[in-house]
Amino acid sequence: MTDLIGSGSQLELDSDRPGRPGSVFKSPMALAGLLGTTVILLAAVLAPALAPHDPTGQNLTDILAPPFWDQAASPEFPLGTDGLGRDVLSRILYGARNSLVISFFAMLLGSSLGLITGLLAGFFGGRIDSIIMRLGDVQLAFPFILLAIAVLGVVPDRRAWHVIVVLGIPGWIIYARVVRSRVLAEKEKNYVAAARAIGASRWRRLFTYVFPSVWQVVPVIALLDFGFLIIMESTLSFLGLGLPPPAATWGGILAEGRRNMVVSPWLPVLPGIAIVLTVLSINLLGDGVAKVIDPSGAKGGFRRFRPRLLQGSEEAAEPAPLLRVRNLSVEFPDQNGTISAVHDVEFDIERGEILGVVGESGSGKSVTASAIIQLIDPPGRVTSGEILLEGEDVVRVSDRRMRQLRGRSVAMIFQNPTASLNPVLTVGYQMREALRAIGIPQEDVDETVVRVLTTVGIPEPTRVVRQYPFELSGGMNQRVMIAMALAAQPQLLIADEPTTALDTTTQEQILTELVDLARSSDISLLLITHDIALVSQYADRILVLYAGEVCEIGPSAQVISQPAHPYTRALLESVPRVEVRIDRLEAIPGELPDPRESRIGCPFAARCPHVMDVCRVTDPFPVEIASGQWAACHLWTENRADVMSS
Amino acid sequence: MRGRVLLIRVVQMVFVVVAVVTIAFFVLRIATGDPARLVNPPGTPEEIIAETRARIGTDVSIWQQYVNYLSGAVTGDLGTSFRGSQPVAAAVLAALPNTLILAGLTVFISAVLAIGFGALAAWRPEGFVDRLVLGFASVAQATPAFWLAVVLVLVFSVNLRWFPAIDMTTWKSFVLPITTLVVSLSPILVRTARQSFAETLSEDYMKAARARGLPTWRVLGVHGVKSAALPLITLIGLQLGFLLAGAVVVEAIFNWPGIGKLILDSLASRDFPMIQGGILVAAMVFVLLNFIVDMLYAMLDPRVGAAQA
Repeated sequence: MTDLIGSGSQLELDSDRPGRPGSVFKSPMALAGLLGTTVILLAAVLAPALAPHDPTGQNLTDILAPPFWDQAASPEFPLGTDGLGRDVLSRILYGARNSLVISFFAMLLGSSLGLITGLLAGFFGGRIDSIIMRLGDVQLAFPFILLAIAVLGVVPDRRAWHVIVVLGIPGWIIYARVVRSRVLAEKEKNYVAAARAIGASRWRRLFTYVFPSVWQVVPVIALLDFGFLIIMESTLSFLGLGLPPPAATWGGILAEGRRNMVVSPWLPVLPGIAIVLTVLSINLLGDGVAKVIDPSGAKGGFRRFRPRLLQGSEEAAEPAPLLRVRNLSVEFPDQNGTISAVHDVEFDIERGEILGVVGESGSGKSVTASAIIQLIDPPGRVTSGEILLEGEDVVRVSDRRMRQLRGRSVAMIFQNPTASLNPVLTVGYQMREALRAIGIPQEDVDETVVRVLTTVGIPEPTRVVRQYPFELSGGMNQRVMIAMALAAQPQLLIADEPTTALDTTTQEQILTELVDLARSSDISLLLITHDIALVSQYADRILVLYAGEVCEIGPSAQVISQPAHPYTRALLESVPRVEVRIDRLEAIPGELPDPRESRIGCPFAARCPHVMDVCRVTDPFPVEIASGQWAACHLWTENRADVMSS
Repeated sequence: MRGRVLLIRVVQMVFVVVAVVTIAFFVLRIATGDPARLVNPPGTPEEIIAETRARIGTDVSIWQQYVNYLSGAVTGDLGTSFRGSQPVAAAVLAALPNTLILAGLTVFISAVLAIGFGALAAWRPEGFVDRLVLGFASVAQATPAFWLAVVLVLVFSVNLRWFPAIDMTTWKSFVLPITTLVVSLSPILVRTARQSFAETLSEDYMKAARARGLPTWRVLGVHGVKSAALPLITLIGLQLGFLLAGAVVVEAIFNWPGIGKLILDSLASRDFPMIQGGILVAAMVFVLLNFIVDMLYAMLDPRVGAAQA
């Protein structure tokens, strides 16, 4: 009834990630667990010295004496006595001893069996593997605990080893599965293959190379298993199927206490508390150790952080563009400080305009896009600035208002279309749902679905709506995404590398269709891409980002023919060498600056071929160098821009 | 699922049940020796023991007994109880629904709790609610069912007199047994649901669903639950065995007339046919439930369904 199989399967960990020894002590919970476990182990070991009385010594003149918090308590029996006048404290101490010893050996038995079978199954594979795993399936397909109860119930002259065997053996499969998957992963690694190449024997490879990197997973499962076995052991002794009386076991004390429960309610309650504390301590310790090995606990989250700022500055009543981004900064707090993903970014998008956003991975293009639709992955947050969509600051509007804007005023399509559709819902379901969300009346929904799918060039819309995303190609899924996005005729469509995940021929096709649809419906398009050459064919203007800052913005033709920033120039020069996409600029030596460090000066200074002293100490601010073309580069303020053309 | 896959599954299920019955038969026999001696008090004259053997059918070789048992089981004859003359099959089938209703309600309530609290905790990982939920789960996980049952009886039956302490009578008698079982089963489900929700929340399609302007309840309640529930279904299948073990304890404490109680009582009186029959029926039900769980999974995840077709 507990965590065994669940945590076992979750423990199929990534063995490339070594645990940091000692970091268990960072978590207060794990520390408490360690402390509790130690205290209980000590109490069990020292029971003969600590116990004030013989745990089986009956004393019929002192039956059911109350514990210390009662007026009538006797100092001789701090936790009172049971129905036979035996000292409860002594019995609980000895009970710890019995319960822990039996559970420990059961754990040892199960883990040894599991380790051996797991190693054999993983390493030798083939028939050995399938026999072992099939046995495991049978075991998991039947509640062996029921059989255990039956065996213990009928065996004459029950001994401790009976209990150990019956409790221990069924546990093997949990260890075996995890060990096997680890061995399989390890076997593929280079050094094991190398050992094979130099002719190391199978057994030698198993014990010298595979075993040492596999066995560590066993103690982690063993800890969680241990807690579970303590509960099972006390359950058996509660049912009268554990160590035979008069031996003290926690389950046994509880079962005996139950008979006198109305008069002396503490009798069944006290041993239970001992069990809960013990198992809790061991589980906390186990969780702590597991977390050290696999630190992937804190995923997900679903919150939108709004900056605690006053209303943004009131702009003069000039004709506002559709989208105006001012001083936008986005940060991601993590354990080691803050990552600045976007820093003081500013740009506008006019109605019906297509703005191409270009930059390497990590340049902040996707984060900027996410900020506009207010879906920054947690724990990221806008720390300053404003994003005015038709004059409304989306950074500061309510969640409710933001939901109305999404889909209706601003829509977004993503890089991986197949992952952007829910795999367990049909395309039609997801489309109908989206259309209802943007306010299309129920009776028109089905018709609209077919109409918009036809618009994006899907040949058999009525068949596609019944299909699941995994049954469609990436190109088809992206068409579905575009159809959904355009259905509400939004003012602004954000396309975050919409074709990167598709094959080359589909890429051009989809991009052309997307741009045509946007143009014909007068929808503004924010088109994010790696590929400056490609985007220049479609975009009215180009925005170049580097390390979360704006380098250059201007009309496409102008930016392509006369780049004003050394980085833009480098991007353009790298295009012929890297055919379609630029993940990292190999053409320019150096790397992106560490986003954790607070930066002084131009972010591109470390890689810039024309770097000057001023670039390392002062942040460049954007200057207009031609009509509508702005660049943030000291070469222009220092009047040395001519070096770029030489 | 197509016919061939279904056929393979059925053969597997039969194999598991036969394997379990075989193991149970021989392990119980080897662990105990001659049942005729066990059912009679020590010191019974040999003639009477021989007579008992003939009566309960253990006067032939153990292999012959095994074959006899299996051929009887195929026709639905699970033998006759050692105590009295009650047919085992009828007794087991009478007890089965009482256990199934306990288990069914427990699974249902635990799954609802797991989805609710899992989503709540995953909303903000490492946040206050998350820590609170996980903390409760840890304590519940460390709590043995039999102790909780006793404490519940002490508080709600003995002191407050709200619910009956034993027997299955009105709806009130369901409250304490089911509470006990839910507390045992739900911690692992809550933890898994939380993990699964947290992973689902960071999926691309969740962000895309929000970008379409879907209301939050729809993003979480439809897209989130449907994806996050899948690992939960697998886990429930795996936990059924432990649930059955918990049911034995709960049935013993609350005097609940189910399979677990039947097996425990039969143990006390060494009623082999009854023990054996209880295990056989439990194995069949268990295998069947696992099959249903797999079907449910294939229904909810079209990718699995397609792979099986």
